[in-house]
Amino acid sequence: MSAIEETIKDTIVKIVHCEREVLTPTATFKDMKADSLDMVQVLVALEDELGIEIPDEDAQKFQTFGDFVAYMEAKVAKKKGNA
Amino acid sequence: MLKGKVALVTGSSRGIGRAIALKLAEKGADVIVNFFRRRQAAEQTAKDIETLGVTAKVIKANVGDPEKVNEMFDIISSSFGRLDIFINNAASGMPRSALDLDTKGWDWTMDINAKAFLLCTQRAVKLMEGRGGKIVTVTSLGSHLVLPGYTAIGVSKAALEALTRYLAIELAAKSICVNAVAASLVTTEAGMLYAGIAKEQLGDAFAWQTTPAGRLVTPEDIANVVAFLCSEEAFMIRGQVIVVDGGTSLVPFGVMSKGG
Repeated sequence: MSAIEETIKDTIVKIVHCEREVLTPTATFKDMKADSLDMVQVLVALEDELGIEIPDEDAQKFQTFGDFVAYMEAKVAKKKGNA
Repeated sequence: MLKGKVALVTGSSRGIGRAIALKLAEKGADVIVNFFRRRQAAEQTAKDIETLGVTAKVIKANVGDPEKVNEMFDIISSSFGRLDIFINNAASGMPRSALDLDTKGWDWTMDINAKAFLLCTQRAVKLMEGRGGKIVTVTSLGSHLVLPGYTAIGVSKAALEALTRYLAIELAAKSICVNAVAASLVTTEAGMLYAGIAKEQLGDAFAWQTTPAGRLVTPEDIANVVAFLCSEEAFMIRGQVIVVDGGTSLVPFGVMSKGG
């Protein structure tokens, strides 16, 4: 598991108050019992934590936790590449 | 009319904020487009503003976060060195009844909708000092009418309206005019979400049943009034809430027939 995935899990558990075990690659946000405010707060917290930007235009495309992690890893890699 | 003025419109990537930003640009103002979640939309607004021959600057900031508000104003200060117009438009919130509200949702709504107005005004005034300015906040009929699921947002709008009056008096001697514009249902993405109404339900029949003026309020209707409040002609209007609703709030049982 990547450090980024760990950070994402920590953030979701802290904000959504779901069990860490729920966060499997195929888990949906419904499985996490996250409402739309939870999701915005997760995105905002991760933007600050990882120093990236996740616009809603992108966030609307995530179907599963796996999609979310893949997107974040690619964003962080791109940021490092640009640095 | 606003040539050479610098305006900040919070939450102006889309909807009412975008319409206000474009209207102020059309009147000649350079406009700072603040957004929180929709960068592409904000950049499109900025692009559309620039086609009107004025300057646009996009700044991302969650206005509910004091640190981000300060960062935004630091950028405005270093980029423009002044501010003539501040439009407090950004709003958020989830449709919930009072008994279903949790502290997280309450705080989120109050921070973005009400606290931000105070924090942004405190910084905006420093950039207006000595020259005067215009401050307008966007509120809604839900500040004093009960709309389903609108509890936290309605309370936050009531706070905005009260704050408008206090600020108007405190800032009057500095030649800073502070007012509010209250809208009824406006067919923006956010408006539909808060009202729990699908766009298909909003035909002419709905407009005639709810609005004596015979059509729903558009973002441009709000923008026109905001632009007026930003003009020198409105200098003596202080601390007022101007209702833009086509008469909706005056007909509690709906419109019985065309013309009343």
